[in-house]
Amino acid sequence: MFITPYFAFARKSFLGRSAYRFDHFMSILNTCLQIFIFWGIYTALYAGRSEVDGITMTMVATSFTLSMGLKAVFYVDDYLLPSKIWDGSIANEFLRPVSFRGRMLAENLGNAAFNVVFHFLPALVISVVVIGIHPPESMAMLVLFVLSAALGYGVLWGLSFMVQAAAFWTFKIWSLATLKDVFINVLSGAMIPLWFMPEWIYEALKLTPFPYIYFTPVQIYLGQLSYQEVWKRCGVQLFWILLIYFLGSVFWKRGQKKLVVQGG
Amino acid sequence: MKNDTLHVMLVYTKTIMKAWFQYRSDALLSSLTVFLREATGIIVIYLTLLKFGTMGGWNIYELLFLFSLLFLTYGIMIIFFTGLRDFGKTVRDGGFDRFILRPRGLLFQVIFTNADWFAAVGHGGLGIVLFVITANRVGIEWNLVNILYYIFTVIGGVLIQGAVFLLFAALNIYLLETNSLKELFYWNMRKFAGYPISIFHKVIQIVMIYVVPFAFVNYFPAQFLLRKPDMAQYPAVYMYITPVVGITMYMLAYGFWKYSLRFYKSSGN
Repeated sequence: MFITPYFAFARKSFLGRSAYRFDHFMSILNTCLQIFIFWGIYTALYAGRSEVDGITMTMVATSFTLSMGLKAVFYVDDYLLPSKIWDGSIANEFLRPVSFRGRMLAENLGNAAFNVVFHFLPALVISVVVIGIHPPESMAMLVLFVLSAALGYGVLWGLSFMVQAAAFWTFKIWSLATLKDVFINVLSGAMIPLWFMPEWIYEALKLTPFPYIYFTPVQIYLGQLSYQEVWKRCGVQLFWILLIYFLGSVFWKRGQKKLVVQGG
Repeated sequence: MKNDTLHVMLVYTKTIMKAWFQYRSDALLSSLTVFLREATGIIVIYLTLLKFGTMGGWNIYELLFLFSLLFLTYGIMIIFFTGLRDFGKTVRDGGFDRFILRPRGLLFQVIFTNADWFAAVGHGGLGIVLFVITANRVGIEWNLVNILYYIFTVIGGVLIQGAVFLLFAALNIYLLETNSLKELFYWNMRKFAGYPISIFHKVIQIVMIYVVPFAFVNYFPAQFLLRKPDMAQYPAVYMYITPVVGITMYMLAYGFWKYSLRFYKSSGN
């Protein structure tokens, strides 16, 4: 079957992650710490007010819990392809009968599945118990949240792939990847819920892929969007995925032609 | 102290500078990237405060002044203590064995044979920018006392963080791998050390004052200069002892380092 080897890759990376127990313990501890920190910061910001611009503290808590959880799930190693290009082992990958890009995605998905179970869910439980977050608006919206989060992942993975493919031309991947993360952190709602952005910035952001990574799923979960609006947003997410995928493909094809591996 | 110590120091520093700035455009891009990465948090705070006005009674300039101390001290600290930050690697790949064979002090070599200039420029640059923006907007009168206080505070803050690095470097001799611990106790703490500690849960405050005392790097010194009401819940003497904390911590860490060296076993290479 066409899909079987990719499923095996995903499974392998899921299992591979299970080996490092101490690391997971540490990162769950870290997530708890971060939730406490955000809670402290927003308690100080709200200073006893019950809402600011119609946004309650609980909505903010829900937003940062979900964004933080998704961020842990969406982790992509930006140096996977670059390191293979730099040490020449990319040449072997081209000889294999499976698409290397497909394999990268499959392995990352296995990773993501692992993070859902071992990072997202613990963080969610801690938030529910300690600070109390909103339940999803409805069962249907919960399903749409999952769908939209999956599309958000697609956007993020595509952006990462583009940065990685730049390694065919340049060594400065560290700078590119870091700058990409800077943009995503500030503009996607991961660090500041976009409700609190100045109006004109938010309007401008809607023309970029960034708010569709974390903020759209959060809004759907909270029931802030009508069904019609939800479908529209998911459509935009899909549009960005296709556009970024197309650009990534161009980089990927051109890069392969340009690639020179020394020695062997 | 050998009489050519200064000369050796200069030669090391010159060589390192050459290595880091060999590729001009890359050095510029990397420094700028560090600067922007660190500025992310600042931009987020600025945007948030546009909406909320104050955080725990601190306005935006006061908050940024608080952050500036953190960035400035880190920027200076990393010029001296990069070798300690990366000490785990030095031990694991056997580089430390080479230091032992040379006729100079071990800590001297660790300190002066590397300096992360990109981090220094990125963090230090951001610290200076924030200081320039805020220095005259937070109601500090820059008289001689305050200027001297500020200088000693920066030295103290550098020593506190240097001591933490030195302590972890010494632990490395026993453990070989301390990254997860350092991640939890230094890097994570640092992420929110710029905020006024009074807004956090009591447990976190205690950690920030008594375990990894970031509070003495920026919060208490800033309180001496700004006198915000939330200082009332801490002993007033804390505003005056940053240099003492720095020197004491550094001496203790140095003692532990000296003691630990006896147990050094090469990782084999």
